[in-house]
Amino acid sequence: MKFLYKYGTILAIVIVIAFFSLTLDSFFTYANFSDILRSISIVTLVAIGITFSLIVDGFDLSVGSTVSLATIASASALVLHRQELLVALVVPLLLGALVGLLNAFFIIRLRLPDLLATLAVMYIINGVQLTYTKGFSIYNDMPLPEGGVAPGKFIPSFLFIGQGELFGVPFSVLLMLLLVISAHLFLTYTKTGRLFYMTGENREAAHLTGIPVNRYRTYAYMISGLFAALGGIVLASRIGTGQVSAGASLLMDGVAAAFIGFSVFGIGKPNVIGTLLGSIFIGVLLNGLTMMNVPYYAQDIVKGALLIFALALSHMVKK
Amino acid sequence: MKQIVHTFGDVTVLNGVNFHVQPGEVHALLGMNGAGKSTLMNILAGVLQPVSGTIEIDGKTHTFSSPKDAKRAGIGHVVQEVDAALFPALSVYENILAEQIVEQKHMFFSKTKKRTFVSQLLERVGLAHLSPDTTVQTCTLHEKQLILLARVLSSSARYIILDEPTASLSEEETKRLFTMIEQLKTQGVSFIYISHKLHEVKRICDRMTILRDGSVVYEGDVSLATEDIVRHMVGRQPEVRNARARNISKETIFEVKQLYIPKTKTTVDLAVRRGEIVGIAGLVGAGKTELAESMIAYVKTTGERIMQGKKQTWASPKEAIEAGVCLIPEERRKQGLFMNETVEKNLTVRLLSTIAPWQWIRKRHERAIATNLVSSLHIRPSSPTALVKHLSGGNQQKVVIGKWLQTNSDVFIFDEPTKGIDVHAKEEVFSIIRALAEKGKAIIYFTSECQELLHIADTIYVMVDGQFVKKVDALEATYEQLVYDMTGGGTN
Repeated sequence: MKFLYKYGTILAIVIVIAFFSLTLDSFFTYANFSDILRSISIVTLVAIGITFSLIVDGFDLSVGSTVSLATIASASALVLHRQELLVALVVPLLLGALVGLLNAFFIIRLRLPDLLATLAVMYIINGVQLTYTKGFSIYNDMPLPEGGVAPGKFIPSFLFIGQGELFGVPFSVLLMLLLVISAHLFLTYTKTGRLFYMTGENREAAHLTGIPVNRYRTYAYMISGLFAALGGIVLASRIGTGQVSAGASLLMDGVAAAFIGFSVFGIGKPNVIGTLLGSIFIGVLLNGLTMMNVPYYAQDIVKGALLIFALALSHMVKK
Repeated sequence: MKQIVHTFGDVTVLNGVNFHVQPGEVHALLGMNGAGKSTLMNILAGVLQPVSGTIEIDGKTHTFSSPKDAKRAGIGHVVQEVDAALFPALSVYENILAEQIVEQKHMFFSKTKKRTFVSQLLERVGLAHLSPDTTVQTCTLHEKQLILLARVLSSSARYIILDEPTASLSEEETKRLFTMIEQLKTQGVSFIYISHKLHEVKRICDRMTILRDGSVVYEGDVSLATEDIVRHMVGRQPEVRNARARNISKETIFEVKQLYIPKTKTTVDLAVRRGEIVGIAGLVGAGKTELAESMIAYVKTTGERIMQGKKQTWASPKEAIEAGVCLIPEERRKQGLFMNETVEKNLTVRLLSTIAPWQWIRKRHERAIATNLVSSLHIRPSSPTALVKHLSGGNQQKVVIGKWLQTNSDVFIFDEPTKGIDVHAKEEVFSIIRALAEKGKAIIYFTSECQELLHIADTIYVMVDGQFVKKVDALEATYEQLVYDMTGGGTN
């Protein structure tokens, strides 16, 4: 039983991969694995953000809409305003941090419950990006309401983030791995990372120990917003358009990945390596199901069931 | 109650107790912590079943196998933690009739039908002004207590247990409660009144029973002198004395002036010198924890805090800690520990700036510090990687204290540090505290166990209702006198 708690998640991933490899011819190929990794790179970024909010014993439901907002912001900067790469990166990141700050304000200053506050912010941000675009996607050479076509376009340097490759590996995968490793090192080996965990573990004790808990909780929500915005940038670059509400489905995948991560190695705490494995698990499962011609709408049932499974497992590990 | 015997494991907590209450009297049940009061009352209320002995009401023998049986026989219990027994979001009406609603057979209940019944009950407990439709969460503590009493009366209880009813009441509210008790008495209701406040006992009670170590040592009139009551409660205690060999410096290191305690609405002055152990004795509810938390700015308050002659403006515990004052809180699991973390991480949480000067935690350095603390404090198991939640209470307490030992703290505030830990661990905690004092640290030690203060303190203050009523040199203090002062003997 103890073995199952510790390695259950990894075992499940191996079983799922083995199952698909045996039943599907084209599953166990380099091309497909590179495809899976590419598809999970965005989910993983979002899930790392959620992991940070979970570490300080919070929760961030607004990440999905932050992804959408960032996607639109990047696209708008490039296509509608003819800006260069830097602006297309900085603007969405700033917006992401701002959403995090807004969440922190509601949760810490106004003492609203985190789930409800971020639920409300999720709707607000979603409404903001829809209002800004009037519900239309932003794409190259799009016609403008005042006549003519949009002045800018998705420049190659921006598209490289989501579509380019370095040494035969997708750049977005390298970016994901780099951020997973940095976040892991930060949380495990630095003073600030340690204090994030302490804040989440017992806020009252942390406060009485002299840890500025509200500062760390604010940071965590801002980091969550930043990672979601980064996910949005990669997403915009990947599809090459600024699609409205593109990030909506990422919330569920991200939450599931972070909670599956709880139970990896029986740690029982939110952790970045676990989150990565969680999102690999989900990615593999969805990829295999798609190849087995399970329609995308039925995949939501699988995702929901997976989240319940992950929550139950993390609950058991905690005990 | 006749010849009640009860044991927990091998420990006999009630040793053939006889307890008699007359109809229409207020009967005090007195005794120190651990004398067996709660066990006896839990047996009477049907929560516990005695090993042997009988309960007789009006000459009829009863066996209570559940609280329900006791209620049917006319026993009512107004618990100390009233909030735990009430439904805050429901109305006064529903709270009073809670038991009837649960018991009734049909699904719906009519509000109008029992309206007069509820109004009568409210009038009996002196809450005639309160509308039955008010939600309970908007009521004051005093009102909640009376609502609970009304509930007890609704099932026509004739023997009512009041457990520390005045612990958090103001003087005015206490007076009103007593008037109400007097009125109900004339209606033939009896009360069993548990309290540590002896002057109140003398004011309201007719007779009393004093328990000590599970046996009745006195039963009779309340007119007994307070000194004698205390003597009965305390019995003959071995005098453990603190052989003071320390030098207490003349230098006052930490001082509070007119520090306001929000809960008791009082102000306090206190000064502590280097090397001094100041003990503060007070009953539960005397405001000790609130004072401790005010000292380190955990609660918002007014008044002066002076550290080494300099006035401080602390807005949070962080600033108090940085100035050198730390608190070892009473609720160690809730306020002192990171239960799911390792001993090591708990011990080094305040030392991270030395272990990780450039953010990067030097694990070897951290392990060395933790191993050192674990062995010098005799923490068991002696592994720094053990999870704190797997440690015993005493070892957990050593971790909480250990967290501060290598910091630059000069003033250590201990709030009930020996609560829930065994005798051996207690001795270890005492020796840690003495060692700190010897190193020139100042100690403020809050407790309700005054033997401990005779054992360890240099100066003892007695705290009653948020104020110091006495200051005494520990060498001149006696246990009986402390209990007498603490229970309000001197404030009558």
